[in-house]
Amino acid sequence: MRDMRWINIGLYVVLMVALVLWLGAGKPFKITGMFITSGLAVGSLYALGGIGIIVLYRATGVLNFSGGAAGAAGAMTAWQISEWGWAQPVAWIACLLVSLVTTLIYGRWIASKLAWRETVVKAVATLGFALILLGLVSFIWIDDPRSISLPTDKVGISMLGLRVTGTRLLVVVASVLLVFGIHQFLVRTRIGLQMRALADDRSLSALLGIPILKVETIAWGISGLIAGFTGLMFADLIRLEPVVITFMVIPAIAAAITGKLENLGVVLIGGLSMGVIESMLTLSPTLKGARPIAPFVIAAVVLLWYQRGARLTFNTKD
Amino acid sequence: MIEIQSILVRFGGVIALNSVSAQFSKDVSGIIGPNGAGKTTLMNVISGFVSCKSGSVVVDGQNLLNLSPHRRAQWGLRRSFQKEQIADDLSVFENVLVQLDFRMGQTRENALEVEKMLDAVGMSEHANRLGAELSGYERRLTDVARCMVGSPRLIMLDEPAGGLSVDETHQLGNHITNIPQITGGQVLVIDHDVELISDICKETLVLDFGKRIAFGKTAEVLADPKVKSAYLGTEEVSA
Amino acid sequence: MRRSLFHVTPSGASGFVFAGVCFLILPSFLGSYWLSVFTSAACFALAAFGVAFMYARLGMVSLAQVGLMGVGGWIHLRLNYLFEWPFEVNLVIAALATMVFGWLLALPALRMRGLYLALVTLMAAGGLEILFATYQFPNGGEGFWGVKTGSFSPFRGPVIAQSAESYLRYVVAVCFLGFLIVEAHRRLAPGRAWAMIRRSEAAAMAVGVNVTLYKTWAFGIAGLLAGIAGGLLAGSLGLLDDGTFRSSESVLLFALAVVGGARFWLGAVITAVLYRILPALLNTWGVDPDIAYMIFGAGLLHAVITAPDGIGGQLYGLAALMRTKFGTRGVK
Repeated sequence: MRDMRWINIGLYVVLMVALVLWLGAGKPFKITGMFITSGLAVGSLYALGGIGIIVLYRATGVLNFSGGAAGAAGAMTAWQISEWGWAQPVAWIACLLVSLVTTLIYGRWIASKLAWRETVVKAVATLGFALILLGLVSFIWIDDPRSISLPTDKVGISMLGLRVTGTRLLVVVASVLLVFGIHQFLVRTRIGLQMRALADDRSLSALLGIPILKVETIAWGISGLIAGFTGLMFADLIRLEPVVITFMVIPAIAAAITGKLENLGVVLIGGLSMGVIESMLTLSPTLKGARPIAPFVIAAVVLLWYQRGARLTFNTKD
Repeated sequence: MIEIQSILVRFGGVIALNSVSAQFSKDVSGIIGPNGAGKTTLMNVISGFVSCKSGSVVVDGQNLLNLSPHRRAQWGLRRSFQKEQIADDLSVFENVLVQLDFRMGQTRENALEVEKMLDAVGMSEHANRLGAELSGYERRLTDVARCMVGSPRLIMLDEPAGGLSVDETHQLGNHITNIPQITGGQVLVIDHDVELISDICKETLVLDFGKRIAFGKTAEVLADPKVKSAYLGTEEVSA
Repeated sequence: MRRSLFHVTPSGASGFVFAGVCFLILPSFLGSYWLSVFTSAACFALAAFGVAFMYARLGMVSLAQVGLMGVGGWIHLRLNYLFEWPFEVNLVIAALATMVFGWLLALPALRMRGLYLALVTLMAAGGLEILFATYQFPNGGEGFWGVKTGSFSPFRGPVIAQSAESYLRYVVAVCFLGFLIVEAHRRLAPGRAWAMIRRSEAAAMAVGVNVTLYKTWAFGIAGLLAGIAGGLLAGSLGLLDDGTFRSSESVLLFALAVVGGARFWLGAVITAVLYRILPALLNTWGVDPDIAYMIFGAGLLHAVITAPDGIGGQLYGLAALMRTKFGTRGVK
């Protein structure tokens, strides 16, 4: 088992290096480096989205399609508040709050009505909530080019002759710290332990007296905060447009798939790789046009890889 | 003739079946044992839902373990589940007919055979009712009729009397005893209801903790002190 | 003693009547704008029926149906500008090719349980969206992608339906056939196999059903219907726009199929009405189209939480209630 893991890691590293070398062939280092750093930033956004999805899915069994919409609502609120001339930190906090509250509303009052349904149905229901949020947000803020700018855009550091803006650095660092932090949370705290127990066996956890409602609410809260942060960063780095932020959930799910909907570390690596490959494809004249397809192709390939040798068998449940 | 040769099944570190062997030669045979003894696991190995580490299952000269589950069914293996598997939105007739659908182009023969077997279990007047409208006993009978069509060679019934009244269990027992002469197939009944087994099975295998602890004529097996202490003993405590 | 293959249920009878109205009466009353709206709605009804039946009969969720429509439409347009074949030949080839394409996409996921098929199809929809946006739809240009800017070459519609009015009739007729194909499947061996699979995959295997084959088959039919729908949609205006086939549209169509009621033909019709006709109505009334999203979302939550059979199911329930109330013989 252990050997297999190292082989997988080795294979991944070789593949990534080969891809980067192939796409970056003949280009000056500075250009390649620029595309890699921008790819890492976008990839962190995918990873952040994926992490939020997985934390929630593991603890509650709900695959949440509405994270993007909650993030969009938060980002638009932040834009509105800075438009009114309030202090920037107020806007950021409002963004997180709006995303947190909307997600909690769903988790506490709607998701609980569906606790006994199949996973697919629960996922579909979150879609309904995403549509309501999206409709509401687009209704309040009619379509118009907007942008949001964080103070981190203006600071930056230079590494190896490359200038990296603070925001890009921030998302990469945040996604790495988040994976580390959530891991520690799951391993070291009581609530984290209970979340892992829920992920393992829900009916058994209920019998053991785990406060399911409380643990689930915390999971919804964490995913809401992550969604808000991701939405704000996405608005700054890519685009402030509700529809686009809402459906960012699709590449985020692609990132989550690379981690089999359970492994946060793999999601981080998967998300970052997707971002880098997508960005590097810009350098290829033939594949340039189809570069946003990268996350989906990668997710599909990873799924196929996980499937190898799998056989349809059953436990004695039936 | 059903020959089970040293079947070994592991789930993680747990040994679910520890080289179990038995040769069933009678029309209707039984497998009994307390909960968790490995009865259903053995049935799952035979029908292909659980793969075993080693061993073989040979029925009428065919090694079943080489076939995929649906191929086994097409070869002539039938099984019922602890919970009867009747589709709610199909009629009784269709619920039985689905077993014959792999024989394509024989619409008439298939329909006739379904009617014959529904008649044998006394369900022919309900043929057009939907699965959702049936009582528990009627669902069981439909399940049994489904196991009888298509010239089966081996029919395995997993706790067929689960949830039935004493009366219904008795009637079902009669239907089961008739299966071999109607279909020509051999029947294997799994249950922990000792009464049903001793009524209808001529020979019986007793499992406990994944091991064979007795095998032979039902009356002799049930009189075995080892069986009494392992199985009947626990029954008395829990009763 | 057995119900014949051709028996007509009350729901089926009302379906015949409805199709008749759509075919004979409706087109005569519509202006050119509404003709195109209804034509497009009919196409989406067919596609929605594909996802709906797969969800209702097998619990399989496809989030790529509109993407597959795009594939069907692309192939149809491509063939149209490549050869001089009649419309119907192109349509059949496009439908079959879409079916095969759907199989290729889904094959790895068909061995997995519910959620993963949904996710794989979602990835496929995301990929298709980008391909369509990048390469556009053929309009008579040169090369493999067949795209030229500025103008576009004329499209050959079906010989028997040259006007917009007759084309709507044509589409309604094809949709009707598509619905019949699915219903026929449901009454034959595949329908029985699907019912068993839905009950339990293990039980289905135990009765000799090849589970992977029949799941693949169901996905193939959904793909086939999507292909036909896409081809018909291409024929409506003679060109297609990549904005029609975004992955969010596939997701929305599935959601609305649940709202409409996945188990019934009426559900697919309601889905299409919500998806195409309601926004057009809101548009003519000058209502903000974002309201439609909110209605859809609330409808979806309502359907999922309280009405698993959707609006269609509620209407059937109402009809059954009326029958018992007014003493008409309740027929099943």
